[in-house]
Order: sequence, then structure tokens, then C-alpha cells
Amino acid sequence: MSGSRARAHLFIALCYACTLVVVLSSCWLFLSNVDQLVPAETVQTTDTESWRTETLSRRFAGGFWEDPAFWRSMNLSVFTATLTALLAALIGIPAAYALTHYRIPGRGIIDVLFSSVIVLPASAVGLCLIIMFQYGPLHGLQENLGFQVPHTLLPGLVVAQLVLALAMGLSAWRAAFAGVNPRFEHVARSLGSSRWRTFWTVSLPSAKSGLIAGFILAWVRALAEFGAVLIFCGTFRELPVSRFPGWAKDLQMQQADYLSVGMWVEIEFGNIEYGFGIAFALVLISAVSVYAIHRIGGKGYVW
Amino acid sequence: MIRVENLSIELGEFRLHDITLDLEEGEYLVLLGPTGSGKTVVIECIAGIHQPRTGRVLLDGNDVTRLYPEERNIGYVPQDYALFPNMNVRRNMGYGLRARKRPASEVDARVQAMMDMLGVAHLAERMPLHLSGGEKQRVALGRALVTKPRILLLDEPLAALDEDRRAELAAELRRVHRELHGTFVHVCHSFEETADVADRVAILESGRLAQVGTIEEILARPASTFVARFTRTRNVLPATAERIGGACRVRLGQGPVLASDYAALDGPVMVGIRPEDIRFLDGQDEPANAFRGTVVALRPKPTCTEIELDVGVPLVAIERRGLGAYEFQVGQKVAVAVEPEAVKVFPRD
Repeated sequence: MSGSRARAHLFIALCYACTLVVVLSSCWLFLSNVDQLVPAETVQTTDTESWRTETLSRRFAGGFWEDPAFWRSMNLSVFTATLTALLAALIGIPAAYALTHYRIPGRGIIDVLFSSVIVLPASAVGLCLIIMFQYGPLHGLQENLGFQVPHTLLPGLVVAQLVLALAMGLSAWRAAFAGVNPRFEHVARSLGSSRWRTFWTVSLPSAKSGLIAGFILAWVRALAEFGAVLIFCGTFRELPVSRFPGWAKDLQMQQADYLSVGMWVEIEFGNIEYGFGIAFALVLISAVSVYAIHRIGGKGYVW
Repeated sequence: MIRVENLSIELGEFRLHDITLDLEEGEYLVLLGPTGSGKTVVIECIAGIHQPRTGRVLLDGNDVTRLYPEERNIGYVPQDYALFPNMNVRRNMGYGLRARKRPASEVDARVQAMMDMLGVAHLAERMPLHLSGGEKQRVALGRALVTKPRILLLDEPLAALDEDRRAELAAELRRVHRELHGTFVHVCHSFEETADVADRVAILESGRLAQVGTIEEILARPASTFVARFTRTRNVLPATAERIGGACRVRLGQGPVLASDYAALDGPVMVGIRPEDIRFLDGQDEPANAFRGTVVALRPKPTCTEIELDVGVPLVAIERRGLGAYEFQVGQKVAVAVEPEAVKVFPRD
């Protein structure tokens, strides 16, 4: 009797201990970065890179929020991520509906393909995209139509983000549709409502919160994309302004890198605290998005 | 009016075999069977949710088997009622009329009339989440009926309700059926619930139709031991039959019992005897089909006492509760008799 009680207490204590390790290590992960955001005395005070318009001062995170280049980066990232998420929703929501409602041949293979995209290193996805667009029929098509996909703001960045954002969104949207009672649709149709009308008046509203959560998830995934974007598009900061299209200049996106790529470049150049500043901004965006997904009530476990 | 003809379908492991059913205008048919017997699949085929592998569904003589659910004008109320969670009661009930593009004034008027009839008008602005089981059931019923379907399919409409609400809503279903002169198919797994509402019963056993008839016909002459057991024939026992002239004599335990109705059987059989058909003898008369034995156990029930007997074979009899009812003791010696007409004989499964 007392032995079994002792074992039960030990089990609970072990569970709590493991939870504590998880909580403390994630706090440490973020808090130790805060320490890095404040530069040491010895840091260089002037910046020699052409991209930077202001000199680095010994301020919090190199004062990244006062740098127009950071905001051009932010504009570019938010703009393309939103475009990607919209595109993913346009393709992904009908596809998710079909995958949950119809007996599509090869559904198992589709599952494996999309799940492997999620677990694959994104840089490998980028490499696959490069090969896909630089050789074969897609290359010929680009030549004939006179445009280029890789290493462009549009459509290059969006294509690189879309693969992972779509894979992520699709799993969330499928979970959203799978969670809707199929009898809602059966009843709606028995009441004389067509498939089309049933989709708009019953299926879509019933899955609404899950669909919105999936949209945010696709958006954050697009914004957080690094490997695929870096391999497929590289960096844009060294390109002369004349190489950027008019709309990019109008929207203040010229000579800017994707946030995650920019962060990496800064760290490579030795601007550690500025890099951490961008990372800090990304952490904020992710945290707010995840909080929004939880508040909406989306299935938080799809990733 | 509606005819289901040789309906067969396979859904994963489950198979429905060759179901044929006829339904008259204004009839209340109950599809009765245990869980997994295929009742829901039958009505889902009628509603058009599943396409049968073979067979047809005819509505007023027209083949509707290949029509979409929205083209059939068949009302359907699923077991969980499936009220649309994004619409209040009024919008739920008006859904079918709006889908048919009826003018708003007509939708309002017909929905209001239906809500009044079902006594849910005070719930009009409520969302389904805030309704009780009985209220949901009425709203789902109204939503299906307001479009005036040719036939209404009800999947276990009373299963989700409390015991005492069930009888009340069963009576309500009968009232609605009578007032609207509707044709209803009601799926259920309880024989007691069936007896409350049905004009006619179709009993299903693992995807096959076991028997169709009125309650009286099924009680008087169950088609198989399955039907007998399912309709509360508590005593289903192995026995031996031999033919004597026009009747057949069934040997059960210590003595023979005559079963005059079933002349065609011979050899090893099963017999079914309903507990209420077992009569206790007071020792004076001694009919031919009498048994002597002892009381083994007593189980008090709300309206009767179940008496378990050992007469060489185990038998369950009942004694009505109430004033002047006979008091039995465990271990008491008793004599019982069964009328020959009350003995049902079935082929050995």
C-alpha cells in the first residue's frame, strides 16, 4: 500500500521535474538573448556597410527600429507573407475540403508528400525549387514569357514561402474541416441546399475558427521562412536600386532582405546585437500570432 | 408511396443485404434493430447520403436512386439533430425554405407557424448551444417539416433524451404525424419506444431484414429466435419437435408441450415463450402442458415481479404487481402452464 503510494508520488514528481526543465529552458532561451541585445563596451560604433544608413550606436539591439532598412525589410516580409498566405488559402482551403470529403485516389501518398515537406529542412525545399525552375519545362516557359522566378521579389519570394506555408496551412484546414460534423452537410442538402450553397452557408462557417487559425499559421510559417528563401532568392541588399521594379520602390521594399535572411546576414557581418534585434522582432510576431491562434480556438497541435 | 427495392451496400466491414420495404402514404414505420444492424444506413440511402451498390429507391413510382439529396424532397433528422451552430433557431428552421428561394415573407410566416405548432416560438433567437435536448429535437423536427417533405426520416430521435422526456416526445411525434398527415420512418433500437409510436415495424438483424409487420403480428408470430429475443420473449430454449397429425408436439424438459400453430417443423427446434404467457396453477386443474418446479429467484420491477423458475429447464415468468397479487417465496414449489398457442417454435439456428 505505502509502496504503491510512494511510486505514485515519484511518478508525479518526475512529470513535474520534466515540465520544469521544458519551461525553464524555453525561458532561458529567450531571456539569454535579451542579454545579448545590449552591446558590450568594445563594440564598433560606426557601420561601414553601404546598406546601413545610420551609424550603429551602443543602444538596445543596435537601435534596429530606427533604421529605415529594417522597416523596408519588415514591409517586404509582411507584404510577401500576406500574399503567400492568401494564395495558400485560395488553393489550400478547397483542397483541404476535397481531401476530407471525397475519396480521392492516392490520398495516402498526398499525406506522405505534404507531411515530408513539413519535416524536411527548408533549404532542401529551396534547392528543389531552384532545380525545378532552372531546368526543364518551367525554365523554357520563363524564357519564352520573358520573366524569371528565382532571385526575384515577386514571384520568387512568394514561391519559396508558398511550399511550406501551404503544407502547414493544409494540415490545419484539413483538421478544421474534419472537425465539422458531417451531418450538418447531410441535413443542409436534404433541406434542398445545393453543394455550392451548403459549402458557403454551413461547411465554411462551421469550420471558421479552424480556417482562420490555419491562415495565421500559414502566414507565420511564411514569415518565418529562412532556408527556402535564402537558397531560392538569396539576398537583395547589394542590388542597385535601379534593378528593383517601381512598385517595390513605392512600397519601400527596395534593397531589403527578408527578415530572417537579414538577421542571418547581420550576424555573418558581425552586427550581432542588430541581428538579435531582428530575432527579437520575429519572436514578438510569432508569439502574438500563436496567442491569436489559441484565442481563436484553432487546433494548436497541428504542427 | 415509397419503395426500397433490393437495396445492397457495402461500407467498410458493414454490408446491407437485399432490403425491400414498402411504405404507404401517411404511415409511421419504425426501423428497429440492435446497434450495428444497419438501420441508419437504410435511411441514409433513402435520404441520398449513400449510393447503394445495387437496388433502387422509388418515390411515388419515380426512381430517385441517382438523385442528389437536395433533389429528393425527403426530410432528415439525424441522431444528434445537427442544428447549424452558426444560426439561431429561427434561421435554422428557415434554412430549407431559403435554399428553395422562397420569398422572405413566406419563410417568416411558415417558420413562425411551425415554431408555434411545436411550442418553440419563445426560443426563436436562441443559438443551438443554449438549447436542451428536447428543445433541440423539436427545432430539428421543425426544420425538416417546414419544407413539407414527402417523407420524414428520423434517426433515433428519442435516444438522447432523459427517460421521462422520452414518452412525452414520443407522444409529440405521434401528434405531429397525425396533424400533418405525414409519412415517417423512425429508426430506433428499443422495442418499448417502438410500441409507443409505430404503425408498422421493420426489424433488422446484421444488415438483413428479419421481419416486417404490425406490433401485434410480430408479437403473435415472431419470424426467428432473433426477433423473439429482441421483442422481449425471455424464454428461448432448445427443444425437440415431432409431428402428430395437424399439430406438432414439442418436448421441453420433463414433459411435452403442444404447439398447435407450427405444423411444419420436425426434429431439433427452438421454442419461445413470453413470460406473460406463463400461468400459475392453483393445484385444482391439471392441463396437459403443465410443469412442476421451484422458484429460484425473484426480481421486483416497476410494474411486475419477475419470477425465475426451475422446471427442469430455466423459465422466467412474471406476476403483476398490485393489490391482491400472489406473494412468492424463493424455494417454493409451484405448478405452471402454457397455452399451446403461446408457444412459438423456430428452426434451430
